[in-house]
This record gives sequence, structure tokens and C-alpha cells, in this order.
Amino acid sequence: MPQTTRRAVLLGGAALALAPTAGFTFERDGAKKVMVFSGNQAVPVLDPHMRYDWSTRMIQQSVYDGLLKYVGSPPQIVPWLAESYDTSPDGLTYTFHLAANAKFHDGSPVDAEAVRFSFERALKMNAGIAWMLKDFLKPEKIVAVDARTVRFTLEAAFSPFISYVPWWYIVNPALVKANEVDGDLGRKWMTENGAGSGPFKLRRFDGNALIHLDTAPGYWKGWPMGEEKRLGGVIYRIIRESAPRKAALQRREVDIITNITPDDIGQLERLPGVKIENHPGFTTFGIKFNTKEGPTADVNLRKAIAYAFDYDSLITIHNGAATLMTSPFPASMAGHIDVPNIPRKDLAKAREYLSRSAYPNGGIELEYVHVQGLEDPRRIGLALLDSLRALNISVNIVGQPWTTMVSRGSKPDTAPNMTSIYVTPVGTDPDTVAYQYHRESWGLYYGMSHYDNPEVWQMISTARAETDTARRMALYAEIQRRIVDDQPEIFGMVANRLWSMRDYVKGFAFSPVRFTGEVDLYPMWIEG
Amino acid sequence: MDRGLTLYLARRIGLAGLMLFGLICLTFVISNVAPSDPAALAAGPDAGRSQIEQARREYGLDKPLPEQFLRYVGDLAQGEFGRSIATGRSVGTDLLRYLPATLELCILAMLIGVLVGVPLGVLSAVLKDGPIDHVTRIFAVSGIAMPPFWFGLLLQLAFATGLGWLPTSGRLSVMTLPPDPITGLMLVDAVLRGQWDVFREGLSYIILPAIVLSFPCLASILRVNRGEMVETLRADYITAARAHGVTPWRMICVHALRNAMLPTLAIIGLRWGWMMSSTVLVETVFDWPGIGLYAVSSAIAGDFKPVMGVTLIVGLNFMIASLIVDLLYGVLDPRLREG
Repeated sequence: MPQTTRRAVLLGGAALALAPTAGFTFERDGAKKVMVFSGNQAVPVLDPHMRYDWSTRMIQQSVYDGLLKYVGSPPQIVPWLAESYDTSPDGLTYTFHLAANAKFHDGSPVDAEAVRFSFERALKMNAGIAWMLKDFLKPEKIVAVDARTVRFTLEAAFSPFISYVPWWYIVNPALVKANEVDGDLGRKWMTENGAGSGPFKLRRFDGNALIHLDTAPGYWKGWPMGEEKRLGGVIYRIIRESAPRKAALQRREVDIITNITPDDIGQLERLPGVKIENHPGFTTFGIKFNTKEGPTADVNLRKAIAYAFDYDSLITIHNGAATLMTSPFPASMAGHIDVPNIPRKDLAKAREYLSRSAYPNGGIELEYVHVQGLEDPRRIGLALLDSLRALNISVNIVGQPWTTMVSRGSKPDTAPNMTSIYVTPVGTDPDTVAYQYHRESWGLYYGMSHYDNPEVWQMISTARAETDTARRMALYAEIQRRIVDDQPEIFGMVANRLWSMRDYVKGFAFSPVRFTGEVDLYPMWIEG
Repeated sequence: MDRGLTLYLARRIGLAGLMLFGLICLTFVISNVAPSDPAALAAGPDAGRSQIEQARREYGLDKPLPEQFLRYVGDLAQGEFGRSIATGRSVGTDLLRYLPATLELCILAMLIGVLVGVPLGVLSAVLKDGPIDHVTRIFAVSGIAMPPFWFGLLLQLAFATGLGWLPTSGRLSVMTLPPDPITGLMLVDAVLRGQWDVFREGLSYIILPAIVLSFPCLASILRVNRGEMVETLRADYITAARAHGVTPWRMICVHALRNAMLPTLAIIGLRWGWMMSSTVLVETVFDWPGIGLYAVSSAIAGDFKPVMGVTLIVGLNFMIASLIVDLLYGVLDPRLREG
């Protein structure tokens, strides 16, 4: 009888609510432990040639291998699928020598043809990572010389080349071709399926809720913690709200979480068995001026604002877990210099610059836009508002969705006077940041200033083609000084990256070049 | 079926169709006035101009708006909801994947709402102005006034973090595989497949979000039912029944309740419509993998086809619910067929 069933269901629910759940145990898969990682961001597309962001790339890096890999802090590029590579003196030809034992998950070897196919696929799809190399690398200039040698010939010398190679993951050509539909290069299938050689392989994929990875038995590169201790797998579980995510860590439903704020540190640190990883990051925060239209087109006003701003507030807002920028480049980037005279709060100087501007007595209102729902940039906006009172300039703080903000910033006549922007450089090469100030970056989110200085643009173009490291770095030093002089933005701070985990989680290795929440899962294990 | 009823039915369905078309127009307009560039979104943050233009062509966003609209309506007519820009997947497939979880949550919440709301309503009507009536009044007012988002977090804090009795969020523990789908409703599938441990676990996950979702619905069912019962209990035929010596139990549950159920039915239908739209909040707090969560994550990413799809489903659900209520009214109350 349905009536009985309903009653039984309700009674069952009540009984369940009254009975405390059993004591905590590790998630296990057979004899091996499974580590559960939780963050707020979905993984919409797994295809490594289609898309990347922190959560997506964390899974991609687990399922796929690149020719080279970023590890450590400061980040280093180490050989991976390629044992070594040679560069021709003119900087045009790169030859990679592949490891002999590398195998895809189906057992077929990762050979030169697979590498050629993968780079060609990424270039043809012209999405995701393609922008990194597409102006310098043509598909027909990638040659599989023999089974273990691949040669890339660039269109022009491009020194940052090697710094991008670690993000070009190698896919299994046979698997991709077998799942190709209407010449889509396997795109549809690759959205939710893996075709890699990496330390993990897909078991379950629901990009909106949960991704279950199994360790690949007999991974060709071996395991740093040894076969004995290696995990049985990793689960990435998406918990969107921060309170339930922290609760899940406390309850040991998950072993490691990201997307925590500096305010959470104190609270989480007090929990028994919980530790914090707190590391200087790589993501720069700046307040970009509209240098083309409106009052901020005047460099004197920009300087006045930069000298009036209370930089200490950036550190306070992050509970000390942040470092002020001393250049447009983050500190761990190659070629970074401490630019002398980078503005710090100095009201006398601020007033002096203001008197030289078109608004010697202030009396204007400027718009400050931040991403809706982000607390830190909103609070920074309040600090700015407070600072600019001294110049009789008022600030209108506006939160907008990311997509709206980017759209507005793509043209000088719609770009806000000031926009708060976080940028994570995708590689350690200084060109990655310098190029944000090039004419070619206008219209992109980090090009919102529409920075206009043809001399600097020329230096940026020259530097990326320069093969002599010493000369290159000298150019970047000058570029940093010149950009600071022009003050296209308030150079803000680099916030620390934060994770919280149970103390039995081992092998966590921070590398600033990874994105905000991204973790290299390969060296991790659980002890206990 | 008599002619009056057929006409009534035809008119209601015609009206629902018109409303649906209005909804399609509205969602299309809203998603296109939003000042973001979907092509730039599809191409990714660092994409150059050529990549953005390629994405624009690929998704047909380079076509004039009226043409895009006709295409969208044409797709809808074939049961296609377009493609998500963030994933490239078909929105229709995604909806099929996420809808059962939402339905399951709504059905359970509605069961709680009815099975708790109706008896409490009757009880407070019978014991009008007594202590029980006052307590349920406070209960009902807070049920309607409390924001589900906040209530959800509160329950999580109490039952998951504090007492540790129930899991925080999700649909099943990370290591448990859901039963092979038969109906798509996981609890039902678990029963059909005889996987009782999965059923038990699933129940522990669904109970908190179902309670949060049911609360406003329960509150309004309770209040409406109480109001109607109070009215009915005053009616002459009840007095007559009492004079004839009908037992109080039979009088309340059979004679009075049956008549008071008509408006309650209307509120149940209406609440069913509301409920599916409030899953947007509840599913976000509990990471319940349904269409509400799907809509929220897509909206945050500026991906509008899924949002439009979910809006249509929720709207359609609302229309069907009120249509059924209307029809039931028509069946139960012959006077309405002519109106």
C-alpha cells in the first residue's frame, strides 16, 4: 500500500536523523586511499586543446602529460615526455627527444607522431591554448623526424616558446580519430573523456558535481612517494558555497579545500588536524585606468591617484597574506626588477600632480568597477574611495558580472575610469606580462587601460624575439620602468594562495605558475 | 467528454501556448540585452580577435538578432534548446541529465509539505486559537518569511557541522555509485534495484534540501487549509452531521476536509510551480546537481542558452501545474466550465 510506504519512508528518515553516522574513515578503493579535493569551480570541458582555467587544468594536468612540466617555487621547467630538447642558435628550431617508455593509458607508446598530432590539433581548433603559439608555429612546420624526435620550426624567433610548451598536453591520436564526428577532431568526445598518458585516468566525469580519477597503474614516470604509498585515486568534488566547503573539511568529508579567504585562516587553523598552506602567489592585482577617455586619460591625474592611494590597506584587507608589487611583473617572474620610485602613499606628491592636471581642485567623480560578488576588490574600492577624499575626488563603486565588465573594458569609450583586475600569467616568461601592455592586447581583459606608448610596444616586440638572455632581460628592466612612468594602472599587490587540508595529506608542492586553486595532484598522498 | 469541458480544455491549452511563446520571447530578449559578448566568453579570456570571431561564426552569433531568434524558435520546435557556449554540449541533453534530480527533490519536498501541512492545518482549525494554533501560526509565518538560502545554511550548520548527523551537501557520498537509472529518480531507482544502502544514503543527503524547499510550501498549505477548515466547520451541513451523531473523526476527515481540499489543491499546484524556481537557491547551497544549480552556474559564466532552457522548463512546469489545477477545478466544479 502506498500509504505504508510513505510512512515507512518518513520513519526511516526520522530514524536516520536520530542516529549519528559512524566514525570517520578514509575513502578507499581496494587497499589504496582516495583523496578528496574540493573547490568551487566546475570543469565544463576536459579537452586540453579547448579550454583552461584553474579547475579544468588541474584535471587536465592529471590525465595528460606535456613535453615539459612546471614544478616548484620559483617555478622550473623540467623534462617530462621529452627527455631533452635542443635550440638552434637563431632561435627558430626546437628539437625534442622523447622518453622511450612513455605510454598512453591504452598501452600505446607516446611517439613523435602523437606529439605532432596534438600540436596540430590544438592549432587547428584555434581555441583555448592556441593563442600562445599560433602566430609563431604553423602545423606543417612540426615534423616527426623519427619515432622519438620532433622538430618545431618557428616562423620567427620567439623566446617565450619553451615557457608555453608545458601547457600543450599530448593526446592519443588513435583514440581521438576513433571518436571523431563530422571532422570535429574528436571535440565532442573529448569534452568528457580522457585520451592521455598522465598519472591519472578518468573513472567518472560530471563536470558540474564530481570528477573521479583513478591512478594509472604502472604510470610510466613512476610515483615520487613510491608504489606502496601512492593513492588509489583522487576525487574533485565541487562545493560552491564556502561555508559548506569548510564544514566538509571539518567533517573529513573532504581532505583538502581551496577558495578560502584570509578571514578563514584563523578559524581553520584552530581546528584540530587541519593545516593551512599559505604561499606568495603569482596573480597580480591592479586598478586599471582608462588611459584613452575621460579624466584618467590625463597622466597627471593618474599619478595623483596613485600617490594618494593607501597601499597598506591592500595588505590589511588580506590579513597580511599579500605582498605589494614593486613592478608591473610579479616578484617570482624572470626579469623582475624593483622599480625605483614606484608610487607609495605621499599626499604632498599627489597634490602636486593633481595641481598639474586638468582638475587642480578635484571635484570629479570616478567610477570604480569590480567583479560582482568578490569581496576583496569591493573592499579595495572602499579604501580607494577613502584615499581619494583627500584630493576631493569621489568614487562610485560598482559591482558588475565578469562578462559585463570585460565587455565594457574592451573599448575605450565604454571602459570604466578604473577597473580592478586580477591577472595570472600563464608562464614564467616575462613576455607573458609585458605583452599585456602591447597594442595587440587592447580589447582583452588585461588590456583595459588601452595603454598607448609605441616605443614601449616596440621594445616588447623586440624583447620577445631576442635570443640573448642578458640583452633580453635588460630590455624588460627598461620596459618595467617605462610602464611605471606612464602609470596605466595602480600597481597593487600579489595575494597569497591558500589551501586548507587535513594533516594526513602529504606531498603538497606549491608552484606559483599554476592558477589560483590549482594543485599538482601527482606527488600527493595520504598517510595514516 | 461533454462539449463544455472540451471547449474549456482547448481554451486553457491555447492560452498556455500563448504564454509559452511570450516566455520564449522574453527570455530571448533578456539574454540578448545583457551587455556581455558570448563569443568572447566561448573563446576564453586570453583569446585573440581571430579566435573570438571564429567562435562567433561557430555559434551563429554573427547573424542578425531576428534570424537568431527564428533559429532558436525553430530549434525549440524540434525539442532542441541550443548549445551551451561554455561546454559546447547540447542544452537539451544537459536538461535531461539534471531534471530528474530536481524533480526528485521537488516531489519529496511536496510530499513533506502536504503530509505535514494538511494535518497541521486541520489540527489548528479544530483547535482554533488554542496553543497549537498559535505555534503553527508562528511556524507558518517564519516558513514563508525565511530566506531559503539562509535557512539552508543554518540547517547545514546544525545537522552537518554541529551534530554531525547528516552530510553537508551533494546527492550521494563521493565513493557511492548511483544506481543504474530506470526512472532517473535516484531513490526510486535504488528501491527498484534493491540497493537499500544506496537508498538510505541518498535519503540522508536529500532530507535537508527537501526540508528547506518544502518549508514555504508547507507553511502556505497549512495556512490555506486551516482557513478553509475553519470556514467549513462553521457550515450548516457540518452542524447537521454533528446533530446526526456522526463521529468527530469522520466529520472532520471525511466531510469537512474533502470540501476544504479544493482551495488547498489550488495552492499545492501553485506551490509546485514556485518550488521548481526556488530550487535555484536551495540547489546552490546544497550542491544538488539539478537544473537550478545548472542555471546558476551557467548564469555566473554568462552562458545564456542553459539559463533560457531552464527558464522555459520552469515556466512550462508552472503552466502545466496551473493547467491541471484549472482542469481539476473544471471537473470538480461544473459552474466553471461555462465561465
